Amino acid sequence: MSEILGTFSILFLPILITIILVYGIIKKTPIYDVFIEGAREGLRTCADILPFIIGIFIAIESLTSSGAMDFIEKTSKPVFDFLGIPEDLISLIFLRPVSGSGSLVVAEKIMHEVGPDSFAGRAAGVMVGSCETIFYVLALYFGVTSVKKMRHAFIAGLAGYIAGIFASVYICRIM
Amino acid sequence: MMNYIWGFMLLLGIFFAVLNGSASEFTDGLMSSCTEAVEFILTLAGIMAVWSGLMRIAEESGLIEKISHTVRPLMKYLFPHEKNDRTIAMMIMSFMANIFGAGNSATIFSLRAMELLDAENGHSRYASNAMCMFISLTMSMIQLVPVTVIKIRSDLGSASPEDIIIPSIIAGFVSMIVSVWICKLFERKNPDV
Repeated sequence: MSEILGTFSILFLPILITIILVYGIIKKTPIYDVFIEGAREGLRTCADILPFIIGIFIAIESLTSSGAMDFIEKTSKPVFDFLGIPEDLISLIFLRPVSGSGSLVVAEKIMHEVGPDSFAGRAAGVMVGSCETIFYVLALYFGVTSVKKMRHAFIAGLAGYIAGIFASVYICRIM
Repeated sequence: MMNYIWGFMLLLGIFFAVLNGSASEFTDGLMSSCTEAVEFILTLAGIMAVWSGLMRIAEESGLIEKISHTVRPLMKYLFPHEKNDRTIAMMIMSFMANIFGAGNSATIFSLRAMELLDAENGHSRYASNAMCMFISLTMSMIQLVPVTVIKIRSDLGSASPEDIIIPSIIAGFVSMIVSVWICKLFERKNPDV
């Protein structure tokens, strides 16, 4: 099962590119010229989002390198105990919404310490596999728009994230 | 919203840095994170250019329109007001790229989709229902094979690294249902935005 899914994932991009190119050729689109034009536009978007990326990166760094994150983790421990969430996972739960690469490092550390097949180790893996970096996504995606009030996107994302965290922990407990 | 969150994150950091006497690490961290941000964009720039170029081909050749017409009935429930082919196709591409774990490519499709949604929203200061729905979906979209996690697990000597696939998909679904449900609740209050 997982092998079939894996093959699909690996082949997805090559197949997509082939379809785009072949369809373009059949329809007699000047594919190279159009590609260059689009690529230029893409680079411009990159320049547009850079300020947002810098803003997000320094805010996250501010929380982690100052020890604020450690403090939040420590003070919230009783709440997580009460909810039956292993204490090893707390740092991952707080870091995941803001940093993709950072949370991956933390997840690896957790799995290394408690073992990848232990309850907390598996839950950490499932969390990374199913919960997104919501704050980062919100800042970045709305960054390319003129939106200043994100309305219910924030609450819907947050609720989805929390639901995903609980689901990860409880599914690993029963499966 | 972002103004408060961002300001709060930075000020909280400064407060704790001074409290813990780690002000110099804090400053160093802050400076190096700016460099990291630029490096990150540089790694993204190449992929961004390639995908923007390829998507442009798909647009000009009419492929986008074709895809959009095929999937339109599926998207009807989630985006009742969406009529633009480009936007629908771009959103579908973003979902597919997410599902197949093409992280950075997914980001690029999503950003394009957001730009298109923004134009349809008349570059308003307020997010449209479609924007909120789209962003909620991308945030909770399931990934068929979380390759990175599986790699880490197998490196650490897991007996069966793939065991997390099914739980991840279920947890992803739970998260997605909750997000969509909340979006729909808000949409019912303001159906026309």
